[in-house]
Amino acid sequence: MTATRSSLTALALALATTVAIGCGGSSDGDQASAGKQGGSITIAQGSQPDSLDPALAYTSNSWEPLWLVYTPPLTYRRAEGAEGAELIPGAATALPNVSADGRTYSFKIRKGLKYSDGSPVAADDFEHAVKRVLNLESGGTYLFEGIEGATQYIEAGDAEGDIGGITADDRTGEVTIELTAADGGFSNVLATTFAGLVPADTPFENMTKDPPPGVGPYAIVKSVPNREFVMEKVPGFDIPDIPKGNVDTITTEIVKSASRQAQDVIAGDLDYMQDAPPNDLAAEIKARHSDRYKEWPTLSVNYFFLNQALPPFDDKQVREAVNVAIDSTAIARILGGRLSGTCSLVPTGIPGHAELDPCPFGDPNGPGDKAKAEQMIKDAGATGEKVTVYANNDPTRPEIGQYYTALLNDIGLDADLKVIDGAVYFSTIGNQKTKAQTGLASWYADFPHPSTFLQQVDGTTIQPTNNGNYGNVDDPQINKEIAALLPEPDLQAVANRWSALDERVVEESYIAPYGSEELTTFLSDRMDFENCSTVHPLYGNDYSSFCLK
Amino acid sequence: MALAFGVLFVVLVLGALVAPLWASTVADRDPNRTNETGKIEVDGRQVDVVSLEGVPIGPQWRGEYFLGADANGRDVMVRLLYGARNSLLIGLAAALLTTILATIVGLVAGYFGRWVDAVARSTLDVIWAFPVILLGVALGTSLAVGGLQIGPFELEAGSMAISILVIAVVYVPYMARPIRGEVLALREREFVEAARAQGAGPLRTMVGELLPNLTSTIIVFAPLMVANAILLEAALSFLGVGVVPPDPSWGNMIDAGVDKLVTAPHLAIAPGLMLVLTVLALNVFGDGVRDAFDPRSSAAWGTRRP
Repeated sequence: MTATRSSLTALALALATTVAIGCGGSSDGDQASAGKQGGSITIAQGSQPDSLDPALAYTSNSWEPLWLVYTPPLTYRRAEGAEGAELIPGAATALPNVSADGRTYSFKIRKGLKYSDGSPVAADDFEHAVKRVLNLESGGTYLFEGIEGATQYIEAGDAEGDIGGITADDRTGEVTIELTAADGGFSNVLATTFAGLVPADTPFENMTKDPPPGVGPYAIVKSVPNREFVMEKVPGFDIPDIPKGNVDTITTEIVKSASRQAQDVIAGDLDYMQDAPPNDLAAEIKARHSDRYKEWPTLSVNYFFLNQALPPFDDKQVREAVNVAIDSTAIARILGGRLSGTCSLVPTGIPGHAELDPCPFGDPNGPGDKAKAEQMIKDAGATGEKVTVYANNDPTRPEIGQYYTALLNDIGLDADLKVIDGAVYFSTIGNQKTKAQTGLASWYADFPHPSTFLQQVDGTTIQPTNNGNYGNVDDPQINKEIAALLPEPDLQAVANRWSALDERVVEESYIAPYGSEELTTFLSDRMDFENCSTVHPLYGNDYSSFCLK
Repeated sequence: MALAFGVLFVVLVLGALVAPLWASTVADRDPNRTNETGKIEVDGRQVDVVSLEGVPIGPQWRGEYFLGADANGRDVMVRLLYGARNSLLIGLAAALLTTILATIVGLVAGYFGRWVDAVARSTLDVIWAFPVILLGVALGTSLAVGGLQIGPFELEAGSMAISILVIAVVYVPYMARPIRGEVLALREREFVEAARAQGAGPLRTMVGELLPNLTSTIIVFAPLMVANAILLEAALSFLGVGVVPPDPSWGNMIDAGVDKLVTAPHLAIAPGLMLVLTVLALNVFGDGVRDAFDPRSSAAWGTRRP
């Protein structure tokens, strides 16, 4: 998922460095009992989530809270480390039955399941949830395009139309999904927030102001965009292995200043901040509040997208020059040291990561070579080409944008910076009309599979709006190989082929990666940090694990 | 006192003008040149310009990094001087544009009266009704995305001209209304009647008879308009709709420094202090000018109570 902050702990690293503790650490499904029950907490995000509608939300700002509100048919175990990457049944009674040819998935919706407003869940609601994703041109559209009839549904433009490949029997709760081709990662798709069930009468529009009821331990009871949204515990929620939550009310305030967020957490006016504390206060927090602060690695990639459809980045030599010039150690300082340099798109820890030693553009943790890059720009005849750099205004992003703008100017381009509000940043650069040439992007795994990263360079995912392939990379060789690899059920068996794809992305300089960012958990003194602060490898801080002392 | 502050303002302007000289000869740094991984010598040892934890170096009180560095390792003193150029340029240009627009509107509305006055007054009231910063942010945001194009007249999004235009328009009512009031009084005077009787048309009457008599009002307002324009520019840049980074202005420098008040207070204090000094200088100078042009005001201030 696109992220204004992270959600994915590096599975391998997390396994070694984190300990499954407290409320979310066990797997007996009754984790809520481990923490004190009740009370209200107030937490903060730096910018309004991109959407509070499960069909549209596609950043970790939104997925972190929505995970507790919209349970999909499948979900992930509420645990830290590798254990948290295990698929478990969510709204479905069991993991899906997959046909021998890998094209048919079937599962049953749990009997007696109810939405937060008390209305019953019907099997047919799953198709409605998928229809909303497709009809609203969500960034998650590509995940469901492999369903038989999905493309025809989109082309017909009739919201109430039918997706032929999904059949549901409300009487038995049985849902059957026919795919046009086998997809080894489709079970993971069924565990994304996009597949979160919503009532069949949910309108085909962005419901951020009035989020629909869902199935989950919490429900959004109030939403004032750009100010706050409030989640309340749903009485009677009971799905095995999904914690019921500890605190009664979670109010999320939108607080632009990370400094203010951190000061408020220190003072106890806020109980958790989703952003990392600013460098200004990080030293004090590490020194004086280390008992309620931790940093954790993520399986993520931060990069500059380079739009191949527009000059000057349609020229491979220019893209290479950018990669050669990048100095990730400079960006690491802007991030207060919370960055590990990288050379490739698929991060270490995900099968299919390309180990490039040496990296063709120099040490990813070393300084860039601006002189060489300047010469490459000259050779490409791109000196003086106008470039607009896009960045959002979330903490540290404007500074990274300014670093990047200065870098492009140093190597001979004529770059300007455009800073856009974090709430609309990704939809802006993902809109083809914007014609965004280059800018900041990051990706955190939707699920533990290389496809979640490589889809950003998959030409078949390019769409006019909510486009996640910001660089409009459309390489037939990559497209064909991704299509060939997706059906493979045994990921390890084809990991080398995924690595080859990752390597090709580097060779062609389709993006300019600069590192994986570490993220943080910082709680107020009244929170039980020791027992109630689970970091999930895919969804970040698990609010259902939070409890007061 | 007014003269002293007037001199202070002139010094500030001169400081802004010599910014390139300081940048090239003293600091040896470009205002937008980043240097996150650079080192400088302090007390005989090499020190990071920006530490590994992201904390920029403080004031060195000598050529390079005289006022320290920012998060991107840029020289704050150089950016302060270049920021002064941008802030003062926008302030002066916006005040000039405000003065021109306000004078035209005030003259035309006051002279013609009736429906012309009613339309002008209503328009000014609409603008007046919005808080200055709110209106500035609204206009700045909308124009910052797509720029402005009216016929052949085009302002590119993100250009400084957008800020100048927005600030100038927002302050027009504050100057046009007093000018209109002055014109309403002047148009009934004998010399205007005499001009009309001699066959002078509206344009000649306005330019030849009324405008010279408005000079003192305009001159009194001008320094205050410059001060207000500089303040609004700083506010808009602070809120992200004024001067676009990496180009410096005092407003966006304060904005960048706010999140680093604990470890690098110089980032916000230095531009903040410059802003205070400039506005103070203009206001005190403006008061002096007003006293000079308005003997009644001066007499009132200078008269002791019995």
